[in-house]
Amino acid sequence: MAQAQQVLMPKFGQMVEESTIITWRKKEGDKIATGDILFEIETDKANMEVESFLDGTLLKVLVKEGQTVAVQTPVAFVGSPGDSIPDVKVQVLTPGEKKQPAESTARAATPAHSVADTSLILPASAPAPQVPLALVAPPGKLLISPRASKLAREKVIDPVTIKGTGPRGRIVERDVVGHLEKSGYNSLRITPAALKLAAKEGIDILSARPQSPGGRIEIADVERAMAELPRQMSKMRQTIAQRLTQSFTTTPHIYVTVEADMTDLMVFRASLKEKGLSYTVTDFIMKAVVDSLVEFPDVNSSTDGRAVRWHSNVNLGLAVSVDKGLVVPVVRSAQNLSLAELHDRAAELAARARDGKLMPDEMTGGTFTISNMGMMNVENFSAIINPGESAILAVASAARKPAVKGDQVVVRSMMKMTVSADHRIVDGALAAQFVNSIKTKLEDVESWNTLI
Amino acid sequence: MEHFDLVVIGAGPGGYPAAIRGAQLGAKVAIVEREQIGGTCLNWGCIPTKTLIAASGLFAEMKHAQRFGIRAGALGVDFASLMQHKKNVVSQLQNGVKQLLKANNVTVLDGSASFSGRNSLRITGAGGTTEISAAKTIVATGSTSIMPGFLPKDDKVVDSRAFLSMEKLPTSMIVLGGGYIGCELACMAAQLGTNVTIVELLEDILLLVDEDIRREIRKHMQEALGIQILTGKAFANVTADGNSVRGMAGDVTVQGELLLASVGRRPVTDGLAMENAGLKTDGKGFLTVDDYGRTSATTIYAIGDVTGRIQLAHSATSQGVIAAENACTRKLRKFENLVPAVIFTAPEAAYVGLSEQAAAALGLGVKVGKFPFRALGRALAAGQADGFVKLIADATSGRLLGAAVVGLHATDLISEAAVAIRNEMTLDDIGGTIHAHPTFGELWMEAAHAAQGHAIHAAPVKRRA
Repeated sequence: MAQAQQVLMPKFGQMVEESTIITWRKKEGDKIATGDILFEIETDKANMEVESFLDGTLLKVLVKEGQTVAVQTPVAFVGSPGDSIPDVKVQVLTPGEKKQPAESTARAATPAHSVADTSLILPASAPAPQVPLALVAPPGKLLISPRASKLAREKVIDPVTIKGTGPRGRIVERDVVGHLEKSGYNSLRITPAALKLAAKEGIDILSARPQSPGGRIEIADVERAMAELPRQMSKMRQTIAQRLTQSFTTTPHIYVTVEADMTDLMVFRASLKEKGLSYTVTDFIMKAVVDSLVEFPDVNSSTDGRAVRWHSNVNLGLAVSVDKGLVVPVVRSAQNLSLAELHDRAAELAARARDGKLMPDEMTGGTFTISNMGMMNVENFSAIINPGESAILAVASAARKPAVKGDQVVVRSMMKMTVSADHRIVDGALAAQFVNSIKTKLEDVESWNTLI
Repeated sequence: MEHFDLVVIGAGPGGYPAAIRGAQLGAKVAIVEREQIGGTCLNWGCIPTKTLIAASGLFAEMKHAQRFGIRAGALGVDFASLMQHKKNVVSQLQNGVKQLLKANNVTVLDGSASFSGRNSLRITGAGGTTEISAAKTIVATGSTSIMPGFLPKDDKVVDSRAFLSMEKLPTSMIVLGGGYIGCELACMAAQLGTNVTIVELLEDILLLVDEDIRREIRKHMQEALGIQILTGKAFANVTADGNSVRGMAGDVTVQGELLLASVGRRPVTDGLAMENAGLKTDGKGFLTVDDYGRTSATTIYAIGDVTGRIQLAHSATSQGVIAAENACTRKLRKFENLVPAVIFTAPEAAYVGLSEQAAAALGLGVKVGKFPFRALGRALAAGQADGFVKLIADATSGRLLGAAVVGLHATDLISEAAVAIRNEMTLDDIGGTIHAHPTFGELWMEAAHAAQGHAIHAAPVKRRA
């Protein structure tokens, strides 16, 4: 009898230390072949599908949906039915199971978990994300007598907010009774199924405010109370939150806006299209930015406040909006790429970003980022610098509007761009020169002609 | 020009309750009716069919009364007397409604209404045309049978309304359309001795109900009543001559003295001049309304069949009352969305809430509790052991989501389930309530127990180890 083979949690890239299984696509007993998608994982960077490198039968799943384990940890065994399965203990970093029903303290306790869990997925040096104070469980266990706890459970209320009058502030039965009286509990009308649902989901029935004309608490009211409960954000969202907060609170930003006349470039782009050459406006902006970063090396640098470091390569990040979040794939060594190569590389990265197929290493190491909201009909906006970089360019929509050309007021396609720069190393004058360099390049159609 | 706070157009089961509710709330109300007070339901629908069905059911019962030791003499139906009885019932009920309208000081305007503006109506009756103004209007004009264009125009090709006023029962008939109206009238005629053939284009009759219920009804209709049911077949080449109607259902020739078309109903909006009030309709001509009964024109509401939402009298009644409240008070109330449906076939059937097939389509985890009539003392005593009830509940909470019943008194039994579902009750609430013995109501209690795996009067379900 052979021994079953391990399936390991893959390591996608240098930065990823652990991953969470979101969905198993195969279940125990399923036949699998090399190349089949086995499961889907979530890292702090992205969601990814994991393919099988083995043929056989999925014999045992060690890591369930919702559980997080370190990379290279065995998550399942594959082999032939009857193969022996080694007894492996897996260290799960987050409990994937849902909270127990009717556990009245469970709701308050959950965010406390999230603080601990989140700190595991972030680099050790990063501060734990801020959690609103109200959500943090009081230190230690809730002091409550068994009778009081039972009564609270029966009445489907959360005793956390009840002030205890027993020894050491322990909540005793009379405190719960007093709380029920004070809150008008006895005059509440609640449908049987609504009460049951609240008990199952750990919802304090007093938090379900009735909306029906009769003033009775119905399922819809409990569901609304459930929907209002704080939910843990996805890892991607938490990473976004942590990085933006870090940047915005530690990096002094300066913003400089210019307006570029895109009319001639639009005409030029249309003429290229007729020749079968398809370029996006973003392609031209990327090229103008890359060339400007080569001209202004201080912008393609970064600082920790003590030292400044110049980056010899322009690694250009492109903010791509994806389902419920944002990713920033990076075009490496962009200064070595032609306009056509920039176009191809950016298009390919953006497509994979939208499909959720980016590798974590493709989203790190940027030196400058472009955030283009040209398609979103915006007048102007400013962006927050990505940590580790010193500037970001926010590109707004090109719009036809009156502009002055010579001494005439004419209709032109105008587009505002705002650079946000780290004011510790980029002075106002430098930011102005840099962003005007981009504008000049975009408006100089002659130079584009030489690049195609 | 006389002014009214509320004008209701149409005095059917949706319109007259709306008028009475408006009057109760202190409004000066007029109701316009161009035919008969009571509308389709009272005059040519619910009430006359149920009168005939009561008779046909009793006749069928008497034929099988030997099992009670009852020997009836020569049985026969005097159809003219039956139709006279029907007429009496209708007129008694109609007078009742008229008196209620009068007692509530509702002005009844005989004639047809047409909008001359958003707040003005022209009423054309036998005495000429009058103009009235209305602060609020409720359109409750109902629906009428669809007559498919491929049917020949002939007095032997009828809709349900004409069928209910015929003078003698045909010896044979074709029912085109196996919905609930077609099936009810087919059962009624078959019980009185008519040879009935149902032709339905879809794959089964009564497709709105779960398959197990359909099977029960279909079995009785075919085996006990001898109704021929042809499903999944288009009816084509229909012709009528001196004494019969015939056509092809697939490769089967179907013939009858009469053809009843029951393929659906279309809204009645002719003559309303809706464009003068800015009213919008959907692609099928139904007046579009929101959940509060409001049309595209402020101050104008619509309810019942003409909105195409749910074409049932009791739904129209509820909507009428709510629309009147919304029109006459400052509070807004939504239409009720739980509507029980009753089918007066032999055997009767009824359902409310989600069906098993709908729950499955929604991907809901449910548990289903069934209980058969044959295990119920009262049903055996009544000599009617066919049928079952079924409760559909959320698998984890036991919250009732739907109920269905087929068998004796099904149409009365459904109300208990409707109350339970609307009030978000659980299997525990039904199962824990003492139901009087021996009654048909016990079926629900037993079904609730069955769903939880502890029915007293059914053998335990064998679980595979």
